[in-house]
Amino acid sequence: MPGSTTPPSVPRRLRRTASRTALLALVWVVITEADPHALAVGIPIVLAGSALSLTLSPDSLTPIRPSGALRFVRFFALQSALGGIDVSMRALRPSMPLDPAIIRYPLRITGTWPRVFLANTISMLPGTLSSRLDDDTLEVHVLDCSRPVVQELAEVECRVADLFGSDLPPLTKGDA
Amino acid sequence: MTWQSVIDGASYVLFAASGFFFLAGSVGLVRFPDVYTRLHALTKADNLGLGLASAGLALQSGSLIVALKLLLIWIVVIVAGATACYLVANSARNSGIEPWTGESR
Repeated sequence: MPGSTTPPSVPRRLRRTASRTALLALVWVVITEADPHALAVGIPIVLAGSALSLTLSPDSLTPIRPSGALRFVRFFALQSALGGIDVSMRALRPSMPLDPAIIRYPLRITGTWPRVFLANTISMLPGTLSSRLDDDTLEVHVLDCSRPVVQELAEVECRVADLFGSDLPPLTKGDA
Repeated sequence: MTWQSVIDGASYVLFAASGFFFLAGSVGLVRFPDVYTRLHALTKADNLGLGLASAGLALQSGSLIVALKLLLIWIVVIVAGATACYLVANSARNSGIEPWTGESR
């Protein structure tokens, strides 16, 4: 969504620059295992990286709520492990239980970044995989359509909304 | 029973589990009937396999910064895997590949 907005005020732009620089600096320190010799290369690269980031996406990234992030990480760690276990069991069992279908899920969450984040999260969870993200609908391929998929997706959507600190309207009765 | 042997034992369990899930994902890739079901097997089983392998390596490294580096690698691979998975599934949908629904025609 290229700039229909007015340029941000100076303090806001400073804060944005600082936070992106700090994030990239942290990544640099981690990948070089805090080697002090790497800083000579790292400092110009980090500065160039944040300059590029601010040029490419000057708008603020959707801020996340730290407490929601903690809850999301816990939820994602468990559920993505269950996703791996579930699909492995289906692959290894001689009967290979599969009952796939494609469903369309009406999105309640708004914003490009939260929606992309939700679609990618869904692909890691048990039995669901995002295949198309339209205007307000997410198309999901499910491995086992006997499961209550819509409730499960609504749950994930709530978790992602919690992560980005937004509220969702209640789920309307629209079975896929 | 030293502390080191406890850490070794735990990381061997993690490596064995990791190998199991990579193997299961590959079995799914061979056995599953269509592109969508195979994507489920690859993205989810390999993500778990890599997570377990990273955890085992982090234990073996005995260093916080190396553990953080492995965590970062795992996160980047998850993001890349989920994105690639969406792109493959989406282009399959756009080129009209119907999902397999059970009855082998």
